Amino acid sequence: MNSPHIPKHIPAEGYIPPSRQREAPQGGYKWIGQNMKRVEDPRLLTGQGGYIDDVKLPNMAHAAVLRSDRAHARIKRIDVSKARALPGVLLVMTGEDAKKVTGPTAQFASPPVVQYCIAVDRVRHVGEAVAAVVAETRYIAEDACDLIDVEYEDLPVMVDPEVSMSATGDAVLHPERGPTNLAHRHTYAFGPVDEDFKQADLVVERRLYWPRSGGQPLETVGAVADYQSGTGKFNIHTNSSFLNYVGWLVGASLGVPAHKLNLIPMTTGGSFGSKLFTHKVITLAATLARACGRPVKYLEDRLDNTMSCDNHGSDRIYRCKLALKRDGTMLSLRFQVIDDYGAYLQYGYGTHGNSLCQIVGPYRINSVSMELVAVMTNKCQQGAYRGFGSEVTNWMLERMADAAADELKMDRIALRRHNLIQPDQFPYVIPSGNVYDSGNYPAVMDEALRLADLPKWKQIQAEARAQGRHVGIGMATCQERSVFSATEFWSLNPQETPGFTLTSSPESTQIRVDPTGNVQVTLGSPFWGNSPETMAVQLVAEQFQIDPANINVVYADTNSGFNSTGPGGSRFTVMIAGAIVGASIKVKDKMRRIAGKMMEVGPEDLEFRNGHIGVKGVPGMQKGFGEVALYAHYFRLDLPDGDDWSSGLDAAYVYDHPLTTMPAKDRSHLGIFYPIMGHMCHLALVEVHAKTGKVEILDYVAVHDAGTVVNPMTLAGHIRGGTAQGIGTTLYEQFHYDENGQLLTASFADYLIPTLHEMPPAIRVGHVETPSPFTEYGIKGGGEGGRMGAPGALSSAVEDALQRLGVRVDELPLTPRRVRELIRQAEAR
Amino acid sequence: MKPASFDYVRPDSLGAALQALSRHRDNGKILAGGQSLVPMMNMRVVRPGVLIDINRVPGLDGIRMDGGELVIGALARHSRLLESELVARHCPLMVEAYPHVAHKPIRNRGTLGGNISHADPASEMPAVLVAAEATIVAKRSTGERRIAAAAFFTGPMQTALEPDELLVEVRIPAAPAGQGWAFEEEANRRGDFAMAAIAATVLMKGGTCQRAALAVAGMGDHAARLPAAEALLQGKALDAATIAAAAAEAARSVDPAGSYHADPQYKRDLVGALVERAVGRAAARAK
Amino acid sequence: MAEVIVKVKVNGKAYTRAIEPRMLLSDFLREELELKGTHVGCEHGVCGTCTVLVDGETARSCLVFAAQVDGAEVRTIESLAVNGKMNALQEAFWEKHGLQCGFCTPGMLMSATELLEKNPDPSLEEIREAVSSNLCRCTGYYNIVEAVQTAVAKMKEAQA
Repeated sequence: MNSPHIPKHIPAEGYIPPSRQREAPQGGYKWIGQNMKRVEDPRLLTGQGGYIDDVKLPNMAHAAVLRSDRAHARIKRIDVSKARALPGVLLVMTGEDAKKVTGPTAQFASPPVVQYCIAVDRVRHVGEAVAAVVAETRYIAEDACDLIDVEYEDLPVMVDPEVSMSATGDAVLHPERGPTNLAHRHTYAFGPVDEDFKQADLVVERRLYWPRSGGQPLETVGAVADYQSGTGKFNIHTNSSFLNYVGWLVGASLGVPAHKLNLIPMTTGGSFGSKLFTHKVITLAATLARACGRPVKYLEDRLDNTMSCDNHGSDRIYRCKLALKRDGTMLSLRFQVIDDYGAYLQYGYGTHGNSLCQIVGPYRINSVSMELVAVMTNKCQQGAYRGFGSEVTNWMLERMADAAADELKMDRIALRRHNLIQPDQFPYVIPSGNVYDSGNYPAVMDEALRLADLPKWKQIQAEARAQGRHVGIGMATCQERSVFSATEFWSLNPQETPGFTLTSSPESTQIRVDPTGNVQVTLGSPFWGNSPETMAVQLVAEQFQIDPANINVVYADTNSGFNSTGPGGSRFTVMIAGAIVGASIKVKDKMRRIAGKMMEVGPEDLEFRNGHIGVKGVPGMQKGFGEVALYAHYFRLDLPDGDDWSSGLDAAYVYDHPLTTMPAKDRSHLGIFYPIMGHMCHLALVEVHAKTGKVEILDYVAVHDAGTVVNPMTLAGHIRGGTAQGIGTTLYEQFHYDENGQLLTASFADYLIPTLHEMPPAIRVGHVETPSPFTEYGIKGGGEGGRMGAPGALSSAVEDALQRLGVRVDELPLTPRRVRELIRQAEAR
Repeated sequence: MKPASFDYVRPDSLGAALQALSRHRDNGKILAGGQSLVPMMNMRVVRPGVLIDINRVPGLDGIRMDGGELVIGALARHSRLLESELVARHCPLMVEAYPHVAHKPIRNRGTLGGNISHADPASEMPAVLVAAEATIVAKRSTGERRIAAAAFFTGPMQTALEPDELLVEVRIPAAPAGQGWAFEEEANRRGDFAMAAIAATVLMKGGTCQRAALAVAGMGDHAARLPAAEALLQGKALDAATIAAAAAEAARSVDPAGSYHADPQYKRDLVGALVERAVGRAAARAK
Repeated sequence: MAEVIVKVKVNGKAYTRAIEPRMLLSDFLREELELKGTHVGCEHGVCGTCTVLVDGETARSCLVFAAQVDGAEVRTIESLAVNGKMNALQEAFWEKHGLQCGFCTPGMLMSATELLEKNPDPSLEEIREAVSSNLCRCTGYYNIVEAVQTAVAKMKEAQA
């Protein structure tokens, strides 16, 4: 018997809307749950992927961008004459040139932080675009960039957010927005924080630093823009996913109405958040195409991408206090977070909304207070990276849990288990107002411990310690929220300037059964490396009980697509499922009625089975799926009058977020905004080589609960791939700016993406399934996978390994140099 | 990132190559494997006006014995050297170092000659050649000279080669019978440039060390011997304490330039750890 | 600045082209020959996405000037499938979910092809060594290793 939990400060009556789930999870599926080989793969495996750089239009020209070599400076003079004169050069544009025809790029902050596709007046980070060249080839365009002469007047460079927040005068990046680099400072309190702290037996305090790292997919961002001057219409190929969601905002920048802008999705070579909305690249390519009168391809090269793309993730300093009882019960969490957003603020404070949706982790913490200090500095602005801010608070919570266990002299695993939300408490409303829809956290922990064989690990550790080696075990129990709601993008904005308070974040699909009985599914958002086509095929096959080979998936451009938010926030499979179920129901309803006419039975007596529509309980009485389809398309006069018997079988469906509500007006809670809640338990066994600081991962276990799993093989792929990125974040990767704002890790030689050699021998994956009561089939998102748990598990393991030295891990990445430094400091004490 | 334009000549004889090098001494660069040069050209960090592609020059890729020396032609590819029985027998130190040198595709095209002419301070082969006391043979139109490895590497990305000289051969004294060897490296990721690397050879006689050669790479200047550490091994039995003392001396004796990934103190720590490991293993291998 | 003539065999077909000396092999394949299967990830020689075979050995095509493959034989991902039928290695990648976004996949397949052509029965360590040459940001690499192992088994079976 469930007793759902709602905090006292949230009005309980009707807080959780009823579920709109139509397909309750039942098991015994034919296609859902199968390890079907991916539909996407054949074209990818044969080199026919169709990525943005594969696009070649007749008469297409190529763009290159000259980027600033300094972090903060006024642009005094740009001389493009030599560049313009170079044979093969078609066009050179400065920021001033572009500003005459193209407005600021789309952004979601409020008050806005104005940004142009080419810098105007001043540059604010190394790598910001200063001029753009269009030429016959990329080679010539880069030659022309070399010939552009820029005179800068240096301004003070801000790279330390704790300094930048007090900057004045010329050190302020956006003086027109206000005389400060402090973009926003506000405390959000959810529940009785002060009272809870008064009850504490112990308050654990830590300062934690999580520097920025980024997705860095192997494919960069690009756009091929084609402008038809006769119609004033742009057709733009690009590897972005917000096409059918807010793609028209690019039109606003370009000064054209939405219907004069067609954005065409591409097979995309990875995103991890960085290609959510490639608006800056699209805006630039479109501006250049319109100006030069030929199609223009702008493809970022690697340096363009690391220095100015949307890879950079959260960059945070936490000062946290966790209040506990002596028996280890967590009461309340209070923290200040300073987030270094870089030079612009395109996504507002959504990354903190993201944190707040699971801010208590899997623990029964009663209240939370967050002081958000958002600061701008002379670095590339933050974009989005797998977790979008919540992976950082996962790490923070796990650090605090370890700290609490250590100070209370409790076992770290026992402390966690003691605080876990219990299986009978769902749906569980957390202090910030978000809902955890379902879960069984003790079961996930138990499965992880079983898979790891903890006693065996402890034996390995004991033997190693006897030899003077440093072996450690670490655990992280973390949430993986899925299906963001649009409210998280603005709910933390200042109340005086709420901004665009959108509340829609749908996904749509169009399903068409052709006269031969093949099904075409049109998705409104593109492929990133997740498996939307495979998901769609498995789901449609399940809905119609037909052979997956008879299902085809295509993608809609903005000419024909419906409102679709796209992948991101682990939402795609859940949302596609909702859209497919919605559209399928309509089509199936029609097919049943028509088949009913064909067989002279009532539609309620019919079922879909094995590629047929037949009478329940009467195996011989059925029609082929294709037979019914043909009939539906071409035999109108056999069917009754009325629109619901029209020729054809197609339906579109816009599926809205299955469970979201508004934030409270006073922000005492943020409503429900990210409730489809997955969970994970990661366990790491590591050895720290004390003399070199090298961390070697000996074994690794990841158990995930992503609700009903459509394809276990592809989910495991995300878990392992995500964990690999988490390993990168924890041990190898950082976008590091020096005191002059120079990005020292701009190339792949210095930005250290792990190879296979840096991976543990295996990442052993386990599954637990607690279906969601709110989504179709009970599916939850799992795309962000292991990145959200690995940093906690590995940090914990390294601390455990160096326990005798009293080393504390409160900063990432744990590079060999840093670990060696920690050991040195500990040995000196 | 696309390279800047250049003129391209592809001599088909050594004489023609040397003439081209002489003619273009001011703005020409040799293209052998290109695995070090082309990335820099792509980034436009270097912009040679002329590339002299020597890949068609015959007779420069040999691996042979001559007298007591292993003679390696300038164009011998890393992959061939890694697979070569002659190298395995007469310079096993090189074979042990090779897995640390980048990755297979780089080793397929990259050449030993090109690698050491490039003289990246974090590159592995210079340390191997310094420890092995190799000789570099350089030719110009007017003649030939021989340069000891210890004198060949003069600074970061700097060698003793004149602008019109081409490295044609590397001559390595065959490893004496019973010599132990070991190569140790710490890099960010396997295959990356070394944060620190140690190439070690040890010759034992009657239970004590008759001769030890230790060369370090990754300190920011150029590959170099560690004479102070070697002196602490000379004439001693190579027990753990002796090795540890030599390792500590090695760490004290280097003067590392810091990099983003490794500050000077960390590099010293690495040198100490790597010398300890390398000498230990080399001693265990010595007969 | 003078153009050079390149005579090269790519995927079994002979081509003659006049090009700038500075044209990279990766761009030559993609732009001159319209073979889009070879991808470009960094142009710095680090990621391995652009890996092709030159005279049977892997090379990072972003580090080779097209002029240098005059007289050579180059093979790209487009040479693997025959008449639209994927080879054992490609089938194995499909079966074992050895790819997600597919961008590193051509380079991975060419690295694996070199390995299997030189050594039809590689050890796990040798397979891991080959896969370590290429960056993948999506998969975490494990399925790629399994895919190569599966290909080895398939190919042995086909021989038997």
